Amino acid sequence: MASERLLDDNVLLEELRVGNPEAVEALFDRFHGKIYGLAMSIVKNESDAEEAVQDVFMTVVRKAHTFKGNSALYSWIYRICVNTCLMRLRGKRRHETVSIEEFMPMFTEDGMHASPIDDWSKEVERKALDKELGRMIRKSTENLSEKYRVVFVLSDVEGLSNEETAKILGLTVPAVKSRLHRARLYMREQLSRYLSEGKSH
Amino acid sequence: MNCKELVYLLEDYLEGTMEEHLMRDFSAHIEKCEPCKNFLKTYDTTRILCRKMKPEEIPAEVRTRLKEFVMEKGREYRKDIEKYRERAVCERREQVAALIGAYVSHRLSPNTSALFEAHRDRCPKCGAFLRSINGGEAPSPVPLEVEEHLAEFLETLPLGESPASG
Ligand SMILES: [Zn+2]
Repeated sequence: MASERLLDDNVLLEELRVGNPEAVEALFDRFHGKIYGLAMSIVKNESDAEEAVQDVFMTVVRKAHTFKGNSALYSWIYRICVNTCLMRLRGKRRHETVSIEEFMPMFTEDGMHASPIDDWSKEVERKALDKELGRMIRKSTENLSEKYRVVFVLSDVEGLSNEETAKILGLTVPAVKSRLHRARLYMREQLSRYLSEGKSH
Repeated sequence: MNCKELVYLLEDYLEGTMEEHLMRDFSAHIEKCEPCKNFLKTYDTTRILCRKMKPEEIPAEVRTRLKEFVMEKGREYRKDIEKYRERAVCERREQVAALIGAYVSHRLSPNTSALFEAHRDRCPKCGAFLRSINGGEAPSPVPLEVEEHLAEFLETLPLGESPASG
């Protein structure tokens, strides 16, 4: 465990800039879990995530002297992580993703719901469903295209605010909100289909 | 307000950021529309379920491997810190030169182009510099202050897209 004073972002950066190995260790101890989780949810397989984490730490160490401090340290690191993962995905054969349009709610010409809407919210409260739904949601996010998945992961899994997410991704806040809303509509529809299937058998 | 408009505003409603006059329309509609009532409940439940998602935990052996790797790279960096610094300076210069090159030859991607022009019009230093080269070749290296600004500009671009198209 690295020393206490390295828990301060400014001290940590100072020490990284001069290449202090204790600072590298402190950086690793503090961020590896977050970075790995974030990388996993974007690249979706262990070996790619591991390589992405290697790249992220190398970049952070080597670029520590260029970090200006206009944003929080963690948000700079998240940005490097998302960027590294997206670059990595770009080099790969495209993973099949579903078209989000097929899961958007349908409306009639005068803006009414085009199909019946069931209320399954009570059903979800059954404890036994918890694990199963968790798995199902994870599976569904994996099928989302990166554009939506990354926003979804940063806000819902990492719990960041829309402003923080926007800053990390270089998007406007309205763009983040709209992607998040669409991701949730998609997820709501996935859950609806899943739960009504369960009911039929 | 109809159902379609209501669904569009759900996030604002649940975040409590909805404007008051919309709020009245929203409540009036949902009061008498069963499908929207159900949609709201299930949408809210979806949000709650999604927020319970936990990031994937790092397996112990992966952590050990990664830590060794990172510490090793850290020691290498310390040894050759000057070399890495120089390389970083060169890289930054190249990236900025590529950005300006793409700008003068109209090869910026549409997205970057819009953001770049916004920066140009807002920032007196970069604006003056870009006017001074007037679509011609940029001096190399560009003035440090402009380089710093443009490097920072590159850092804020939307992720996952390259500045130049094609
Ligand atoms: Zn309605």
